Amino acid sequence: MERLMTRRYFFGRTATGIGIPALASLLGADNGGLPGLPHFPPKARRIIWLFQSGGPSQMELFDYKPRLKEFAGIDLPESVRMGQRLTGMSATQSSFPIVPSRFSLARHGQSGAWVSELLPQTAGIADELTFIKSMHTEAINHDPAVTYIQTGAQIAGRPSIGAWLSYGLGGETKDLPAFVVMISPGQGGGGQPLYDRLWGSGFLPTRYQGVKFRSVGDPVLYLSNPAGFTSEDRRKYLDALSELNQSKLEEFGDPEIATRIAQYEMAFRMQSSVPELTDLSKEPASIFELYGPDARKPGTFAANCLLARRLAERGVRFIQLFHRDWDHHGQLPQNLPRRCKETDQPAAALIRDLKQRGMLDETLVVWGGEFGRTAYCQGRLTDQEYGRDHHPRCFTMWMAGGGVKSGLTHGETDDYCYNIVRDPVHIHDLQATILHCLGIDHTRLTYKYMGRNFRLTDIHGRVVKEVLA
Amino acid sequence: MTRSFSTLLLAAWPGLALDFNRNVRPILSDRCFSCHGPDTASRQAGLRLDQEESAKAALRGKRPIVPGDPEGSEVYRRIASDNKAQRMPPAYAGHEKLSAAEIGVLRRWIAEGAPWQGHWAFLAPVRPNIPPLKNTAWVRSPIDAYVLNKLEREGLSPSPEAPKDTLLRRVTLDLTGLPPTPAQVNAFVNDASPDAYEKVVDRLLASPRYAERMAIRWLEAARYADTNGYQSDGQRDMYRWRDWVIDAFHRNMPFDRFTIEQIAGDLLPNATLDQKIASAFHRNHRTNAEGGIVEEEFRVEYVADRVETTATVWLGLTMGCARCHDHKYDPFTQKDFYRLFASFNNVPERGLVYNFGNEEPFLKAPTPEHTRKLAELDRRVREAGQRWASLQDRLDKEQARWEKGLRKAGELEWTISGGRVLHLPLGEARFDGERVVEAGYDVAKFDYQDPFTLAAWIKPESPNGAIVSRAEDYFEGEGYTWFLMDGKLRLHITRRFTDISLRIETVKPILLNQWQHVGVTYDGYRKGAGVKMYVNGERQELKILFDELTYPYAPKEPFRVGAGAGPKHRFRGLIEDVRAYNIALSPEQVSVLPLPETVTELARIPANARSKPQAGKLRFCFLDRFASEEIRSALRDLEQARKERKKYFESIPTVMVMAENATPRDTFVLKRGAYDQPGEKVMPAVPAVLPQLKREWPDNRLGLARWLVDRSNPLTARVTVNRFWQMLFGTGLVKTAEDFGSQGEWPLQADLLDWLAVEFMDSGWNVKGILKTIVTSSTYRQSSRLTPELLAKDPENRLLARGPRLRLSAEMIRDQALAISGLLVEKVGGPSVKPYQPPGLWQELAGGSGYKQDKGEGLYRRSLYTYWKRTVAPPAMITFDSPTRENCIVRETRTNTPLQALNLMNDVTYLEASRKLAERMMIEGGGDPGERIRYAFRLALAREPREREAQVLGRVWEQLRSRYRRDRDAAVKYLSPGESARDESLDPSELAAYASVASLILNLDETVTKE
Repeated sequence: MERLMTRRYFFGRTATGIGIPALASLLGADNGGLPGLPHFPPKARRIIWLFQSGGPSQMELFDYKPRLKEFAGIDLPESVRMGQRLTGMSATQSSFPIVPSRFSLARHGQSGAWVSELLPQTAGIADELTFIKSMHTEAINHDPAVTYIQTGAQIAGRPSIGAWLSYGLGGETKDLPAFVVMISPGQGGGGQPLYDRLWGSGFLPTRYQGVKFRSVGDPVLYLSNPAGFTSEDRRKYLDALSELNQSKLEEFGDPEIATRIAQYEMAFRMQSSVPELTDLSKEPASIFELYGPDARKPGTFAANCLLARRLAERGVRFIQLFHRDWDHHGQLPQNLPRRCKETDQPAAALIRDLKQRGMLDETLVVWGGEFGRTAYCQGRLTDQEYGRDHHPRCFTMWMAGGGVKSGLTHGETDDYCYNIVRDPVHIHDLQATILHCLGIDHTRLTYKYMGRNFRLTDIHGRVVKEVLA
Repeated sequence: MTRSFSTLLLAAWPGLALDFNRNVRPILSDRCFSCHGPDTASRQAGLRLDQEESAKAALRGKRPIVPGDPEGSEVYRRIASDNKAQRMPPAYAGHEKLSAAEIGVLRRWIAEGAPWQGHWAFLAPVRPNIPPLKNTAWVRSPIDAYVLNKLEREGLSPSPEAPKDTLLRRVTLDLTGLPPTPAQVNAFVNDASPDAYEKVVDRLLASPRYAERMAIRWLEAARYADTNGYQSDGQRDMYRWRDWVIDAFHRNMPFDRFTIEQIAGDLLPNATLDQKIASAFHRNHRTNAEGGIVEEEFRVEYVADRVETTATVWLGLTMGCARCHDHKYDPFTQKDFYRLFASFNNVPERGLVYNFGNEEPFLKAPTPEHTRKLAELDRRVREAGQRWASLQDRLDKEQARWEKGLRKAGELEWTISGGRVLHLPLGEARFDGERVVEAGYDVAKFDYQDPFTLAAWIKPESPNGAIVSRAEDYFEGEGYTWFLMDGKLRLHITRRFTDISLRIETVKPILLNQWQHVGVTYDGYRKGAGVKMYVNGERQELKILFDELTYPYAPKEPFRVGAGAGPKHRFRGLIEDVRAYNIALSPEQVSVLPLPETVTELARIPANARSKPQAGKLRFCFLDRFASEEIRSALRDLEQARKERKKYFESIPTVMVMAENATPRDTFVLKRGAYDQPGEKVMPAVPAVLPQLKREWPDNRLGLARWLVDRSNPLTARVTVNRFWQMLFGTGLVKTAEDFGSQGEWPLQADLLDWLAVEFMDSGWNVKGILKTIVTSSTYRQSSRLTPELLAKDPENRLLARGPRLRLSAEMIRDQALAISGLLVEKVGGPSVKPYQPPGLWQELAGGSGYKQDKGEGLYRRSLYTYWKRTVAPPAMITFDSPTRENCIVRETRTNTPLQALNLMNDVTYLEASRKLAERMMIEGGGDPGERIRYAFRLALAREPREREAQVLGRVWEQLRSRYRRDRDAAVKYLSPGESARDESLDPSELAAYASVASLILNLDETVTKE
């Protein structure tokens, strides 16, 4: 018995070939992940990715383009578009009138980074951030584009970046998953749909998929005991269950049984560690001031940012927030400010909070969506109203913290904010760079499936050394 | 993994002879082929190692492999080199050095003369000889002989046969996905006849539960789901195909026919409805309805999916690797991929599909019950029609009498009012290019599946101007707008102007400055072909400008007269008598609308002098208001019968099926796999290295289907029996069930695999037959107990010295709980159902109204009927490792996580099952607690608890009973989850204690495990 319960059995392969890395990865035991990883000393221990789903407009937020005012109402010149394919939504438009930002941008901080009036708090931390204005992708529609940036391929079936990290590195805690996802809707609950595959494990075992922390019902599915069944009842129940499974293990010798016993114990631990984590009542008032009043409302981006910090403190490896409803084909001047209001203060607060706790150095924070928006107007163009279609050829993201420079602007777009003129960064490059910050060579984190060694960056990806600290 | 396994095997069993396919090819493939293999574009130094000739031929004065002389072989010299710059695979490209074991294998192979073999899986299997054995008593079938042969060589012996109850539970779960009942256990345990087990197997295979169990793995391979799978992920209806699959397994359709009908059932001569439904297999792939996509990009994606799925399911080949370039490991060129692609590229389909409902091509797929009912309704229509026809003389007479009376009476007017939802007389209202008349928000609010009619009198003074609209007031606005543009009548129905819209106009302009009556009807079928327009009651020729109304629209603005399409399109002239109907009026009905004469005036015209519309108006009016009750009731009956027939017909499910364009679509090699980079044109064909299509086969999908199951095909039978093996033993004889290529695992039990494949084909592809052969073997019947020796020597049980011990698959875990608790509803087939799911899962990702859980029966059907939304799959299924159904998955995987523990302990599904099981314990399980607990144990595990187990469970029960006696409210609460009623006759405290014990039993490792 003693022998069967040794670590070797816990972490070895088993009769069914499943083994117990579950322990290491899903619940990220301290030595989870693959042997030999990280490949080199990491700059960041974890990631918080503030994903802005729908494609925020770079022109209104960060990419200052004064000449768009000159071009206003003029058709986008073919010399700029160069036959670039458009989405079916604007491909049949009879004209492509340029529309400048209705919102002003100004330089902020010592770095002089351009930030929109819609993001005053972000402007306040501009010196902490690295802006990449030359992000680009090939996908021009939401589903393929989000799937692409999350999994490295436009078509479903590959593991998400968080699943890769969970598989490669495991977590740093025994009581929480290595990869946690939280979702917030835009005001009114609208926006592009999301899909489980965005944090799915693809062809990796399902234990590497992101665990969704929810704001309604149980934070983790099926976490709570049923009414009328207390934690003490559960303890007695588990003691008996464990005893019975133990005797089975003695009789049958299948190490999988030992794993199951351990998993039930971990489930029990999660039943206390997760509620402790999601209980914000002990956070001081100053924290709520920092993150803003929304932080008291479960399910908001602000509350999720605060939770992200708590998850980071507890050793979760990859924390990804999805905020919906940045897809502004029409009525952009009305809708964009709402999204900014929902996200600006909490995102800036997270950076400040991590910094004041000395955690920013070891936490890589990423902000951005799946693509940018067109310089030309889609749909109705009036003084009060305009919209922008999807634009894959350039968009802006920012990063901060572990491994990246602060106060840097990388890459540049042309006067039309249509093409990149300097230092393009493909989404595969971004993925490679993120992995690099965590001490991973993106060409060497692979998994064999269908006879091939797959990796997050497919056969592409270049670490953007220029932004590394 | 594959590499290390065969290499380790060699290290562990040095007695094994070196085998090129088993030991050498995996190393060359994995470590060398990507630069020195089949892909010409990426081949380095012109060296090719995947073919014997080139691997042994001199190249620039060096010989890569010199049989018998490792040191003289450049390949060996380079892989073994200590010099980093010299060593292969190149360190500078980030490649790892070969392990000492791998280098040793290559050295030994070259030293032994470097014997070469063709790739095993591309050579047709032949029935292998049965090896001579020592322990022949154990051998029940050739399966056992092959297994035992390996075991004897390794000095292992088979495990003893599993106890009868264990074996019965194993085989029942394996063949039906459900546990045996205690009665079945008793019957089997007490049946001492020599064929007792065989009888059980026959009983299980005959059960519809067997067909359901087989169907679910096939559904996963076929990427079957209830939604489209991209973005908004709207619903589709494919369950009639699922019904077909269940039925085919139940009737034991031979696998070759099963294949042909699914790949090309539509192309069979005189294809039956069932055969066409079968072809839905290749419409199960995801389809994209996201506005703005480039259609061709996704249409190509669908065709590629068919190629890749076909290759995975039937051939065990990773053809997808040859989509952008030649295959890196297997001898398939990119051209091979597109030749297969050509077979699937001829479907009349679109890339951008309807967001809700089935996409063309689809067909009505009535069940026999539907067909019977429809025939009954047809009969009623016929009868009502006959009765109506028999009354025509009388009708004419009655009407003539009425007309006579009319001429004397005062003026009578009448108009068509059935279905009329709006009427604005307006009285020659003048519109001056600015005026707008609004008629409110609650009128004429149609969606894209609602038929409608709009009509008005107009006297236009300008060729541009809106007649009526319920749309945002600009040209591209959402809603419907009917207007004049360049004098032509034009209808826009718009969701999003640029891509989700229907736009249609008359070919001829109408006249200016004259009163004309105009009408438009739309039949609600989302197509331009369903629109008709009329001027003065006459049908107009129409031109469809845009025909992509794929998504519902929502008219958010009021009904307007004289406006729509923006300020530039305000009407100038006169408008009156504006009408809207919520039905599409017939041409005869529309022709009546413009008539200026009152009914009385028409009656005065001699019958033979009336125009058709004039006669029509009199007839409609008479029938509507004045005919005798007998005539009117006959007409009502006929209309009612037609309506019911139509309604019923529309309720009959459709299924998307395969079809062929009359003119084949050209297929080109797509450079780098990109939809917009066509290269060389190709014709349908199969990969060049495999046996070719026979001349007598048709040159299309049907030919390909016949090829898949032709005796000469080396792969299909092997790949299929390998999946059956995987289904029973957890791991295939080829572990990489999806890849039989050179990167796949070489089968240690190659002779066994080949024997099964040949046996399967020789039996006429008899699925039940081959399964019976496997489950009746001694190999299958072994105990799954692990000894330290077995665990050390063969942790993955690849040598099969013991039986399989595996966690149940996701759907079995749930289905078993339903069965044990007595909740399971054993109804076969039909639409998908929506059992319990934590609330809010759909909304948090996509908004909308979310998941509407079923009530009653739908909660307790087997899991293969659970509604599968691809982007938010049923969480409990995914937690227990179900594939997501986004693409074809054939490999079974199992993990072991705390989320599974939480799911089984706290999900309402299992809490309710525990309560129902507790009720069974109290009602059926006898009088005392010990007996009742034993009963539950037998229900779940098909065996009696051991003493210690009974003690532990008894102790928990005692503890919880006293706890719930103290707190009755807690007991009632604990018993409340689930829609089924609690048995109020049972004491809640007692019941709650039993329910806790029942839950514990459902959570036992053994319960969720087949052993």
